[in-house]
Amino acid sequence: MKKTTKIITGVGLMALAIGIFVAADHIDAPASMGTTADIADYFAFEPSLDSDNTVFIVDLQSNVLDGLAFGTFDEDVLTEINIDLDGDFVEDMVIQAIPRDGRMYFFGPVAPNQTGLNSEVLVDFPLGDVEISTTTAITETTADGVSLFAGPRQDPFFFDFFQFNAVIDPDINSAVGGFKPADDPNTTDDDADAAVDTFDGSNTMALAIEIPNSMLGTATGVNFFNIPVYKTWITTNRKR
Amino acid sequence: MKLYNIKFVFMSLVIAFTITSCNNDDEGVIDDDVTGMDDDMMVIEPDFSGTFAQVDFMGRPGINTTLSVGDVKDMHNVAIPSEMAATFQAGFEARLEQYHDVYAMKLGADPAAVNYENNILGLTAAQLTGYLASDVLEVAPNAPTTYFNPGTDADMDGRILVPDGDEVALTGRLLSDDIIDVSLILFFGGADGTRFDGNNGTPQLTSDGVSLTADNITTTFPYIGAPE
Repeated sequence: MKKTTKIITGVGLMALAIGIFVAADHIDAPASMGTTADIADYFAFEPSLDSDNTVFIVDLQSNVLDGLAFGTFDEDVLTEINIDLDGDFVEDMVIQAIPRDGRMYFFGPVAPNQTGLNSEVLVDFPLGDVEISTTTAITETTADGVSLFAGPRQDPFFFDFFQFNAVIDPDINSAVGGFKPADDPNTTDDDADAAVDTFDGSNTMALAIEIPNSMLGTATGVNFFNIPVYKTWITTNRKR
Repeated sequence: MKLYNIKFVFMSLVIAFTITSCNNDDEGVIDDDVTGMDDDMMVIEPDFSGTFAQVDFMGRPGINTTLSVGDVKDMHNVAIPSEMAATFQAGFEARLEQYHDVYAMKLGADPAAVNYENNILGLTAAQLTGYLASDVLEVAPNAPTTYFNPGTDADMDGRILVPDGDEVALTGRLLSDDIIDVSLILFFGGADGTRFDGNNGTPQLTSDGVSLTADNITTTFPYIGAPE
């Protein structure tokens, strides 16, 4: 089931050693890869049609390869969800999350006291806090209708990472045909020529927030199709 | 329970130099349950002080991974979106072209003759990489969420996601969205999304062949499955 186990000893370590990086943002760059502050993935969506809420899910750390920091939220790492309302790519609202003593504390959403690369915890704007889960999800819902979660979860990302690295390998004999075909569900044998989801069976340290849009503000920026959107991004920030 | 835990840990860490405002409690300082003792003053909030400096960044999935090279990967993680297009677009465009050169060589063709072609959004390489370089994940509060569904043709005009006003895309990212295939189609799919799709002697560069594992996600908050 956990396909990484057979990959790790050989190809996995070699991939790390020669500096190949994993999407979506897992292990994406030398300085942050494998640290407790490594952002693995990020999702933002409306939980259902006609919902007045937005869901933000931030995955930190990953055990997709051996040797990566995984399993504990770092009290020196502040995670920020940045939200640009007017389309100028500068954050107008931020939501923060930082762990203390087995609980995850959330702050905001509020206009930050400074934009850019440095942050302080917005202690005057507590949003709520939730016990950090283990296997069973523990969630909190605040009086404002905000749902909060923090803990280990399955990594929902799917990607044939090793074939991707073969595809982009400049060796002219590497993956000449490109990516592999999908595994045939009608056969039970492992098909060596089929694509493999490298992330199947791996876990991540997840933060989840479902929050009423009314608390975020009105989106006046637009996307490529002229649809009003929040322009959002995640940062992790380490205490200096 | 919660306050007790916080207090207890705090005490065990720094009791040596914190018995100041509560020094009349003597040995009772970590006991919430002593009858008659006013220990409200001992409720100690967690310490959130300090300055935190950005060490990692993520907007759209896979951008830094696929389009940055070398030192740029670290630079991207300590950059801010308002400056990203000016800083990273040219490098991203060069990388996109480099991918095409790699496949030209693998297929025995002249790298100069195999280039990016405008994609299903009608974007040139410069336009596409400029759009992606400002690396933010857009989420629409009042529209259905889809990172990009290349099969959508809402107005049945035969055009897939040509921006003629009625299709919905780039409105967020669902846990189930196949963002790798979408990215591959935007990079290598050409005008109809099928340019390098494994047919007609082409390599398969528009799908990695894997899909969501069903138990990775749930229908209720927090929407992701229990760890394995």
